[in-house]
Amino acid sequence: MNVPTELRYTKTHEWVRLEKNGVATIGITDFAQEQLGDLTYIELPGVGDNVEAQSEVAVVESVKAAADIYAPVAGAIIEVNKKLEEQPELVNSDPFGDGWIFKLRPDDASEIDMLLDADSYEDMIPEAEE
Amino acid sequence: MKAWAVFRDALLPYATGVALQERLHAARLADSIPDTVLFVEHAPVVTLGQRGRDDGVRVPPQQLHAQGVELARASRGGNVTFHGPGQCVMYPILRLGAHEADAHGYLFNLEEVALRTAADFGVTAFRRAGMNGAWTADGKIAAIGFRLKRWVTLHGMSFNVNVDLAGFDLIVPCGLAGERVSSLARLLGAQSPDTAQVRARLAHHFAEVCGRELEVFRAGAPLPAELAALLGAG
Repeated sequence: MNVPTELRYTKTHEWVRLEKNGVATIGITDFAQEQLGDLTYIELPGVGDNVEAQSEVAVVESVKAAADIYAPVAGAIIEVNKKLEEQPELVNSDPFGDGWIFKLRPDDASEIDMLLDADSYEDMIPEAEE
Repeated sequence: MKAWAVFRDALLPYATGVALQERLHAARLADSIPDTVLFVEHAPVVTLGQRGRDDGVRVPPQQLHAQGVELARASRGGNVTFHGPGQCVMYPILRLGAHEADAHGYLFNLEEVALRTAADFGVTAFRRAGMNGAWTADGKIAAIGFRLKRWVTLHGMSFNVNVDLAGFDLIVPCGLAGERVSSLARLLGAQSPDTAQVRARLAHHFAEVCGRELEVFRAGAPLPAELAALLGAG
């Protein structure tokens, strides 16, 4: 299971990358995409929306499951990954890269430091049985 | 890990089933109940998946109504399906994604429960690549569609025992044109078990496949206080 060390994580399996310009890029983890299976549709957040921490902002849907995506911290949604409208499978093939879901300008960037680090997140997800 | 199962005999209107699941889900999130699997049978209903596409319904809403079939939107994944008497519906309210998660994947596990249950009654069922659910040589016998809210599951799986398959003629099941739907009764005729027998096997296999020790309660019989309060209004 791929858990990049430079990212922060939530218990609901989002990852967060704080960029140098203070913007946070958010997606779902490799574990999450694997649990959901091949994604068929993503309901993206609205650009400009102000969201609370842990509020539901998007829905990802696979052949069998629909799952909510949560805002890791409070802030304003400033960009969404429009590519996912046509290619939701990018979340499966590259969850930490081209499969990013939205960007958020945090009300308080220091809240991101309070999220799980890679070690804590990795401890939380089950060991894959090979 | 300990978990609860609730067997509910009376036909449940779909909306009541959703309300019941939502209460169980909230209680599970608050850790006031363990993982709980609700087993029900629904009054006839056509349900649409999360995106609410209704192009899979073959007849106008008035005709559904005239035939005593409800139409409902469901927050689950997947496409249109039919529920009715003679079909075992299981709604596992499970916490996934923490230590106790099912490493092989919840979808795979639900399919496994259906395959093993079919086998108990001498029916060979199998997975089909890219198509969810459990299939037999005669068509699909179990359909799966679920929702994750804060990584606790809602909705689940329906397994056709002796449901009137004409209900599926009202729709394009799961949006798959040209695919058939089957049931144990269709495959086994007079040898077919009833829903209570199938429900017992589904619960058994669920416990084994998902690694839960299931304590079974019957709606109407004495229940743990937390559960009685949640089920009471439904």
